[in-house]
This record gives sequence, structure tokens and C-alpha cells, in this order.
Amino acid sequence: MADIGRRGFLALGGLGAAATAASWERLTARDIPGRGDDALNIAILGTAQDAAARAGLVAAFRERHPEIPVRVQAIQGADWSNFFAKILTLVAAGTPPDVVVVATEGAQLFADRLAAPLDEYVRRDADELADYFSDVHPSLVEAFMYQGSLFQLPMDFNAANVYHNTAALERAGVGRPADDWTHDDFLDVARRMQRGASGSFRPFFWTNRLWGGVVPWLYTNDTSVLVETRDGGGGWLWDRFYADDPTSASRSGGYRWLDANADDERVVETFEYLRDMVAEGLGSSPAQGGGNELVARFAEGVIGMTPAGGFWVDGLAAGGMGPDDFDVTFFPRGRSQRHQFGAAGYAIMQTSQRKDEAWEWVKFCATRPAMELAMPRPNTTPTRRSMVQASYYSGLGPKHWQVFYDTLDRFPTSGPIPAPPQQAAVETALIKNVVAAVTGSGGGVRPALGRMQRDLELALRSAP
Amino acid sequence: MSDLIRADAAPATAGAPPTATRPPVPPAGRRRQGRVAALFVAPTVVGLVLFTMLPIVASVVLAFFRWDIISAPRFVGLQNFADIGADPTVRTAFLNTFGFVVVAVTLQLAVSLGLAVLVQSRMPGWLRAFFRSALFFPLVLSAASGSLVMAYLFNQDFGLVNRVLTGAGLPAVPWLTSGWGAVTVVVLVYVWQNFGFTFLLFVGGLASIPRDVYEASAIDGATGWKQFRHITLALLSPTVLVASVMAIISALQIFDQPYVLTRGGPGDSTRTAVMVIFESAFQQLQFGRAAAIGLVLTLVIVAVTALQFRLSRRFVHYS
Repeated sequence: MADIGRRGFLALGGLGAAATAASWERLTARDIPGRGDDALNIAILGTAQDAAARAGLVAAFRERHPEIPVRVQAIQGADWSNFFAKILTLVAAGTPPDVVVVATEGAQLFADRLAAPLDEYVRRDADELADYFSDVHPSLVEAFMYQGSLFQLPMDFNAANVYHNTAALERAGVGRPADDWTHDDFLDVARRMQRGASGSFRPFFWTNRLWGGVVPWLYTNDTSVLVETRDGGGGWLWDRFYADDPTSASRSGGYRWLDANADDERVVETFEYLRDMVAEGLGSSPAQGGGNELVARFAEGVIGMTPAGGFWVDGLAAGGMGPDDFDVTFFPRGRSQRHQFGAAGYAIMQTSQRKDEAWEWVKFCATRPAMELAMPRPNTTPTRRSMVQASYYSGLGPKHWQVFYDTLDRFPTSGPIPAPPQQAAVETALIKNVVAAVTGSGGGVRPALGRMQRDLELALRSAP
Repeated sequence: MSDLIRADAAPATAGAPPTATRPPVPPAGRRRQGRVAALFVAPTVVGLVLFTMLPIVASVVLAFFRWDIISAPRFVGLQNFADIGADPTVRTAFLNTFGFVVVAVTLQLAVSLGLAVLVQSRMPGWLRAFFRSALFFPLVLSAASGSLVMAYLFNQDFGLVNRVLTGAGLPAVPWLTSGWGAVTVVVLVYVWQNFGFTFLLFVGGLASIPRDVYEASAIDGATGWKQFRHITLALLSPTVLVASVMAIISALQIFDQPYVLTRGGPGDSTRTAVMVIFESAFQQLQFGRAAAIGLVLTLVIVAVTALQFRLSRRFVHYS
């Protein structure tokens, strides 16, 4: 080993310290492109490609607001819960974004803990926003109200409708189901599909998740796994923008889910219906975390029906399905035909030092030209009714594309998925007990729902 | 005694390079050498302290706080430990993990040893090299992507495995939607993805057993099973100890396979200790609770490893 004197030691130590100081930017990750730059930071769920797809939107915003630099930061996540967890780590690291795209799954978590209310901005710019609210269904807006305040302007949504394979229906000798078809009609169609099929064909395929899992069946049976109540307030918005809407009087200051309801008789009835369907081989046993292969399987023709929203259209076209190969209808009616939907919009973070600039972004994105730039193809459903037109689905289908927005117009009590601030824990408690309830014996439904009730109560008691 | 040491040391140092008989280094020189050593070791020590020791200490401290990232942490004493003790999901997750460790590690060691013995048997060198690489390959794959592919293969309705079964006239199996099916798939996928390293350890261990021991035992009349039990297994026991310690520590931390394949379901049948840590922290925002579960799991790992080393005195033969 080479010897080293005191001076040499000090010199090398100094060199090390200088090298460390020189690489400080790298060590503290300040050299990450955009980190620490003087721009409005907008976090979206997606890949760098998704961020790039918004380049047109950003360019259009810059044209209108050259004084506000914008950076779109794409954050990947397996699902919304995963995305929100990453946003929270950004908050913990002291580098929170200014604006975050938040879906219904996280709307109340953000409203409760992270997001700033938009009320003052909306009141101030009411005239500018009149066009937006006149074009957007109040159910979507109400989904983003929390304790009387508005936290997001919904940009896109997806209700759980039923997609069906046209060839499977033809094989079964039945036409497109009527708009007011019932749960019994659904079973009848599924049985006919089963009789006319071969191989691994499954009349109904569904996945075990909050959106599109058991919840649409529960909603159409006029129940849910959580007790749904409404907050007071919100009159300032309904009176100003929806005074002429016949449903405005029944609108509220937002949804609340404070108690578990899995042991409700209607919930039991719904799960028994689903259990029988799975036992008869008409419906798949819903695998947890599944769904990725669903579009491909549906396009292959091995699935007869499945719950999906407007977001599927583009994927089915990419999968090779023509406009007449599939169609969509409302979810079948039980005690009611109330549908489930999820929506998404931009939330401004409480911690943002650029709230005014962030509001300009949110307001800009709610304009029709901006929404056309953000959603050029039907891989979701725009919240502006005027955008959901034949031209939007031209060459892609489905034939009855009107179903997507009619879901809200015809069933105005349709509501968001039950997503309290503890949504992630609630979703875990729900999906972990669904399979046991729908795949076991008939006598196993109540015990499984009893466990679900216990787990949901624990979830609702947990933070945040 | 000192004479004995010198007498033993003499032949060993006789052929050693001259540096072995260097004159003693003066104190000032030792200090200089110490500084150089400190300089070279410093980056590693700093990294270890910053990125390993500090997070461990912070995690232990966090276990006594309630923290949701958004608000300031609040000291709650042992409340997190009381909460997890009363939580049936956490209990189930730990029981699942222990059961999983027993089955998966046993299977992993058995498969690795069996394959290592086969690969070390008489065969052309190129074929042995091929098998070594091929059997190691699953370990190179990302656990998440490997599990994702397996989720497609074991899908009840459209998976290849059930297609083969139904093609052969057998009923489709609810692999991922029944408790026993999900546990079976998680164990199989975990073992498939992890046996490669243990296999390499065994191949190395087998290669180090001198052939003349087998030849001598053959002259004494020992063949087949007797040779395997009394020579192969006995001389391989240090390797088995190392392999089992590493396999158990790794299996106690299983996360990727059940997370991707089943998300812990159906019910809690494949929920593991690390999964509840993840769910507590990143889904329920209970970071203190997650740290408490992590601390309990760490103590379990330390206890199990200590027990293994204690038991090894009886079963491990170093010569």
C-alpha cells in the first residue's frame, strides 16, 4: 500500500470534497430535466409518450399564455392508486407538482388532504366558464364536489356500459339488447350465447376491480358496498350554472361514503346473482388485477359481453374490430338502472406557489379547442356533450355511440364509483372478498360478505 | 505455544512472497497507511451509512410514529405494534409467509440439488454449459415481467395451461381464482424464478467434492443412495446451509409474484408480510404501521437465521 502524508491526505480529502461539490446537482437529482426549473409542473398518469401526446395542448396554451412556462411530467403507474402513491412520494420529497390529473378514485383523497378548492376561481371567472358548464353534465361536476367545494373540472369520463360482440349475438339468434333490458334478460342473452358457442368462449367476462367489477351490478340493484350520503352546500355552483337543469335541486355539495354496507340484503342478492352466473359458466371468475388482456380477447371474439366505457373504442379498432363487429348498450336494469362512472380532471395542489397560473391551465384545458387537442381519438369520453358526436366515432364504431353520454342524460342519478379518501384501502377490502363470494357455494356468499363488511369497516377507520 | 506457532508457520511462509517477511512498519508509516485505507474505505462507508444504516434507523424510529407523508409525524409509542397484532390480515399474511417459506424453500432446494446432481453427472462439456445457462436464465428475468407472463399462462378462461388440460380431456383449473390454485401458482413461479442461484451454489459445491472420496467409498461397497447420503450430502452440507439461509431470507420477503399474479387474493390466501407493508405504506398511507411490520419481519428473519446457524452445528460437516 502506498504511504501518504498528512498534506497528501488533506489534499486528497479536499479533492474528494471538491468532486462531491461539483457533482452535487447529480447527487441531489437536480440535473433531472425540468427539476427545479421555473415552470408550471403538471403531473399526468402515463408514459413519456403520453406526455409527448400533449405537446399540441401545451403549445396551444403557450400561445395564449406565453408568460406561463409549462412542463408535463408523465408518471407511470399500474393503476390510479399506484400513481397517487407516487405523487405522495413527490410530496414527501418536497418536490410536489403544481397540478395533478386525478381520477374519481383519488378525487376525495386529494380534496381532503392535497388539493386546493376552485370555488373562488370559478366564481371569479364564471362568465368564461358558463360555456363549459352548459356543455358538461352536472353528475360529472357533482362527482368532484367535496364538502360543498369544487376541486376539479371534469375533462373526461367513462360509465360502465355493456359492450357486446355482434357475431356472438347473431350466433345466439338475438338482436341488440333493448335499452331497458333487465338482469334476467342479461342471463337469457348469456345462455343463448353459450349455447351457440364453442371452444373457450365466455358469454360474460369481467374483472375484479372498483370500476367495472361488482359495482355496476350493485348500482343497478340500487345498492352499494358503502353507504352513500351527500354533503350539503354547493348551491353557489348549481344556482349559478345549472339553474335550468331539472336535476339541479337534487344536486349536493358532494358524495360521502362513511359506513360499510356489504351486509345489506340487496348486496347479498346481487352477489348471489353473480355467483349463480359464474357457477353456470356464463360469467368468468373475476381474476384480481386482470383486465390487460381483455381488449385482445374481446377483439378475438372469445368474449360475448363485458363492462366497458368509451375508452375501449380506440383499443378495439387497434385490435382489428370494425365498426359493426361490436356495439354497446346500457347496463341491464335491476331495481334501478343507475350507472357507475369514473371521471378525471386537473387538481391544483395546496402546496403550489403558482395557483393562479395553475388555474389558467385548468381553465384553458376545459375549453372545447383544448379538449379536442387533448382527446383527438375516442380512447375516453370527453365530458363536453358537444364533442361526443358521430364524427368522433366515424369509422371506428360503435353504432350506438350515443349510449356513452345518454347514460348520464337518461339516468341522471348515475354516480361515481364509491371512492372515499380511503379509496385504496376500500378497494383492497372489496376486491379481496369478491372472488370468495362469487366462486364458492351458495351458502358461502353471506360469510364472504361478512368478511367484506369487517374489512371495509377497518378500511374506513384507517387513515388518511 | 509461541514455538508451536512459529514451527507451524515456518513451512507456510517459506514459499510466500518477500512481502510476507517485511520488517515491522514504524508508527508514522502505520498512520499513513491508515489514512490511505480510510480514504479508500470512506466512499463505501459513507454510502453504507447514508443509504443503509440511516434508513434502517429511520425505519425503526418511524415504527413508533403515525405518519401519512402529508401531515407531520406523531409519536404513538407502541400503538402501531398493538394495531398490527390485532389485525387479522397482518396475522394471516405472516402465517401465509411462513407456510410459503416452508414449501417454497424445500422445493427450491430439492429441485436445485436434483438438477445440480444431474448436470454434474457424465455429459459433454458443452451440454453441461448449456444446462447451467438455461437453468440460471429465469433468475435473470425481472420477477414482475416473468410473473406477468405466468398470469397469462394460468388465466382460467384463456390461459395456455388450461387449454392444454381441457385439450387432454381434463377440467379447467381455477389457478388464480381459488385459494389452493393461487398458492400453487405463486409457489411454482417463485421456485422457477429463484432456483437458478441455489442451483449454481450446488454445482460449485458438487464440483469441489474430490472424486477419490467416491472411489474410496465404492471400494468399501457404497454405491447409489448411500454415496449420495453419506458423501454428497454430507460434504455438501456447508453449501446447503448457505443456500438455505439465503433462500429463507429471500422467501420471507416474497412480494413480486403474489402482487403481480393475484394481488394477495383470492381473499388473503396469497397475501404476504411484505405485501401488507406495501399496502400499509403506499395504499393506506400508514407509514409508521408499515415500518412496524417491517421491523417485526426483520426480527423474524434474524431469529430464523440465528436458529439455522445454531442447528447447523449438528448437521453441517466442514470436512
